[in-house]
Amino acid sequence: MISRALFLLLAAGMLSSCATQKKSGDQLARVAKDWSLSIRASQVIPVYPLTEDLQPGDVFLVQTPVEEQVKVYLAKGFLPLENLVTRLSPSGYARFYRGWPFVQDGDKAPPRPWQFPKDDSTDSDFSRAPIAAFPTYNFSVSRSEGLNVAIPVQGVPIGLNLLDSASANGTITLKDAFTYALPARTMYDAIHEWCRDNADYLSQYEPTESTTDGKRTANKFYLRVINRVYLVKTVDVSLFSNRGFGFGGSAGVPQPVQLLNIANATEAAKQFAAVNEILSNAISPATKNASAPVGAGDAAVPLPVAVGGTVKLAMATSRSVSLVETFRRPLAIGYLASDYAIEARGKCAAPVPTLSVLEGHGALAGKTIEYLGCDENCARIRPWIKQGTNQQKLETWLAKQGGAIAIADLLTGDYAGLRQRVVTELIEASQ
Amino acid sequence: MALQPPSPQSNVPRIDVANVVDAMLLDGQVKWVGIVYEATVGGLDRFTVTPYVVDPTKGPVV
Repeated sequence: MISRALFLLLAAGMLSSCATQKKSGDQLARVAKDWSLSIRASQVIPVYPLTEDLQPGDVFLVQTPVEEQVKVYLAKGFLPLENLVTRLSPSGYARFYRGWPFVQDGDKAPPRPWQFPKDDSTDSDFSRAPIAAFPTYNFSVSRSEGLNVAIPVQGVPIGLNLLDSASANGTITLKDAFTYALPARTMYDAIHEWCRDNADYLSQYEPTESTTDGKRTANKFYLRVINRVYLVKTVDVSLFSNRGFGFGGSAGVPQPVQLLNIANATEAAKQFAAVNEILSNAISPATKNASAPVGAGDAAVPLPVAVGGTVKLAMATSRSVSLVETFRRPLAIGYLASDYAIEARGKCAAPVPTLSVLEGHGALAGKTIEYLGCDENCARIRPWIKQGTNQQKLETWLAKQGGAIAIADLLTGDYAGLRQRVVTELIEASQ
Repeated sequence: MALQPPSPQSNVPRIDVANVVDAMLLDGQVKWVGIVYEATVGGLDRFTVTPYVVDPTKGPVV
């Protein structure tokens, strides 16, 4: 039985590498979408593939128009992060997480104190990071559809091979999930400061118009600024076989694999230990010399296998198998962000939450304010704005005031004092 | 620093809806404006005026 399990696991590795070359781009794209749709259900924009190198303050240049983003998002399930323009390092973690142990700004800003708590070790310790929780996701997997080569959790194809099944239903539980963020307001100030300093660079991305078949299309670039990320360190995968036997390693063997028969406790324990031994030995050259990850459990926990995670068999029966996959360090699986349109002369516009746009909630940010009527000063400002460059003058002036409110809010909102100053400092001063 | 986007405004009388919409459209990002009837107070119709950057009629696309 043990040798058979070994054969199946080796077959899993061989099939993965062979299949990678054979599977079509369409199949891979669909797998990415299925995975991303699951993450998206938690109101988080998915990252695909998973990466450790994503954090609040990362600024991406995206070309897709807002309306087009929705189509791409629906088609692919995730948004491609096209070009990383810069990584902002705004201070504000210490204030935002006031009283939270070991959170500070500068070089030791999150996630560094959790990512590399010791100078001489690459082991992470996220036990002090803010915790998040995700629901369990259900999925169907079929070897013939190529899921085993593209899903970012390698426990799935391994489990499928342990089951000796061509198809299965399964659940993925994202355990040990963490999140951290900076407030949108902090990001707002940081990105606008960066935009001011890099207006020349950004001006090459100012809006343009193109004509296709007589139809005019506006081409806009956006800066997508990440302000919250979600990370996961451990993934539980449970697979339930749809059929008793599949293909490959089980060819000609009519009985389903019985990895763990609880009725025979002694034999079951041996098989259990043997499979975990096999998994622990299936390490790639790159990770062979690395130390075991922190927080992965006791000494029986195997070293990472091929893709960088640690897979451990947790439970198995003749028709089901459960595996625990632990990444060396937590990986970002999703994020929240705001999009800033790049306007003429490289100016950055007001932010729009990326998820709001994608999910079709298009209202601009801000609470509803009460219309208080157009007073005497409002009545003077309204016609004045229409003359020459006065609108631009007013916008520049408002931008220097606290809050940088919109002109519409200034005119009929609760800003009588500010309207009086506009009349005095801008209108009357120029007469 | 760019200005904040315009806020939705409630209690806007019919006679001034056009001016409020006009002011909201000064922000280049605003592409749609919703005008929703609230109530009639003292013979005056009142509306809530809401700026949008994407087509609000398409609804959530979950």
